[in-house]
Amino acid sequence: MSKYIEVGRTYLKTQLAWRGDVLFHMLFTVTKILFACLLWGLIFEEREMVSGFTYHSMLSYYIISSFLSQLEKSGGISEEITYKIRNGSFSNYMVLPISIEGYFTAMEAGIVLFYLGFDLAAAFIWVFIFRIEFVFVQSGFIFCCALLMVIIGLFFMVQLNYFLGILTLKYEEISTFLMIKNNLISLVTGSIVPLTLFPEAVVRYMKLLPFYYVTYLPSMLLTGRCRQEAVTGLFVISGWCIVMQILIVYTWKKYSRKYDGVGI
Amino acid sequence: MNVIETENLTKTYKRYKKREGIIGSIQGLWKREYEEKNAVNSVNLKIEEGEFIGLIGPNGAGKTTLIKMLTGIIAPTSGRIEVLGYYPNDLKNEFKEKYAVVMGQKSQLFFELTANDTLRLFKEIYGIPEAEYQERKQYFIELFGVEKLMNMQVRTLSLGERMKMELIAALLHNPQILFLDEPTIGLDAIASRQIRGFLKQVNQEKGTTIILTSHYMEDIKTLCGRCVVINHGSKIYDGRTEALFEKYQNSKKITAIFEQPVDGSRFLTDGLMLEDTPHKKVISVPKEKTYQVLQAIMEENPSDISVEEEEIGTVVERIYKGRSET
Repeated sequence: MSKYIEVGRTYLKTQLAWRGDVLFHMLFTVTKILFACLLWGLIFEEREMVSGFTYHSMLSYYIISSFLSQLEKSGGISEEITYKIRNGSFSNYMVLPISIEGYFTAMEAGIVLFYLGFDLAAAFIWVFIFRIEFVFVQSGFIFCCALLMVIIGLFFMVQLNYFLGILTLKYEEISTFLMIKNNLISLVTGSIVPLTLFPEAVVRYMKLLPFYYVTYLPSMLLTGRCRQEAVTGLFVISGWCIVMQILIVYTWKKYSRKYDGVGI
Repeated sequence: MNVIETENLTKTYKRYKKREGIIGSIQGLWKREYEEKNAVNSVNLKIEEGEFIGLIGPNGAGKTTLIKMLTGIIAPTSGRIEVLGYYPNDLKNEFKEKYAVVMGQKSQLFFELTANDTLRLFKEIYGIPEAEYQERKQYFIELFGVEKLMNMQVRTLSLGERMKMELIAALLHNPQILFLDEPTIGLDAIASRQIRGFLKQVNQEKGTTIILTSHYMEDIKTLCGRCVVINHGSKIYDGRTEALFEKYQNSKKITAIFEQPVDGSRFLTDGLMLEDTPHKKVISVPKEKTYQVLQAIMEENPSDISVEEEEIGTVVERIYKGRSET
């Protein structure tokens, strides 16, 4: 286990190496929240409620969901794997006595830890500046479910991106897969607009997909909504993790022999 | 005891053959032609523990492919392969803990961090106890004289300094076998010499088996007691390095610079003039005539003179021709 902790620590250190990136990331977080405040402020000027949300509960939802979606950085995994398989430097991971998937999971954990600190600070500052009456879940049980769901959801995203990355062994080019994944995630995670604004039938189908449980449901749970979905949500996202792990093991076994290590 | 054994080891690559131009690119969308290339062809190899072996051959000969198979990075198409009792492509962690590989063009270091950070990561990955880690790190730091560089960002180090750090990272867990693919590529003469000295010491003191590929004669001659020559994927020589050069390195290249214009014809008793300008002569001479030609050149008071060995490519070509003729 200590090897994976050290991988995480190493990537946390790499995040801290560039001061400019740290600064711009914080500014970007702040701009997003500012934009949301202006946008929802205009919408709520004429009405008290939109789809069951008040101005403050909507902003609370937005701050939590944008905080969670900014923690989800695993897209870099598939890009890095595909790049390294194609230029031959994926060999660097293959010769180390460590599980490659474990390495990328630990890498992601290190990166998430970095963003967690800064995003949390930015969220607190903005709740304070805009005097948002922050709506937050009261039940400890639901809070724990939401927290666990976030962790499992982020792990699922690592698995998914790792899986898409190693598909390069078979298809060489995976940009189409990545495009489909990104569009689907934008639609299903509800990171921009709450899913309650969609027709009920559409949401029902979205609930079959894992993305619903990555940022959207945890955000709703943390703002005190959808409590009845907390436990089933945990089962669904865990089920998806098992399915994804089976796919990863199968794909690696089947296609790792195709790796030719050519490139630079 | 043999640490590496291969029997009829073969690797065939399938390569996409793209037609030229835009029409060819469009046709490639639905119909693709592939060709097969034998990168390594029926190679039999036995390497004993503690040996320092040079793998030489021209670009594309199959040296790197062979190293990739020995380290498990790629799977062989056919044949038998056993390294330290393992089938490398199973990629078992206990096998990977027993060797290290340094590829001149594929860095294991984190460029944004210091070498100390990468070494700390490797300590954990290889499960080296703290006391051993400190002791080994200190040993290598002193051997290389890199104490002051340990806390510098890797990206700010020179190529030679970076290679030293790569080697320290690779040797930290005391591997039984060290695979080195072009470790001195792009390095200047001083850095190359330092690296060679370091490798020699590691081989002698720690008994590490080292397999080295290089294009530089100096690396091979100084370090490797045994040499394996590969060309077009096949092994064409396997034996003592001294014997190889004795038999196949027939000539030397002499470069002489003169302040006054000099007539070069008098140096050409039994050689080939490669460059002939009034102030510069480059001559290829049979190695037994080197002394004689040098004497003649010295009589003309040259301002500078250098004697170089034949390139590996030329030697390989000669072995290959020799084999085809017999």
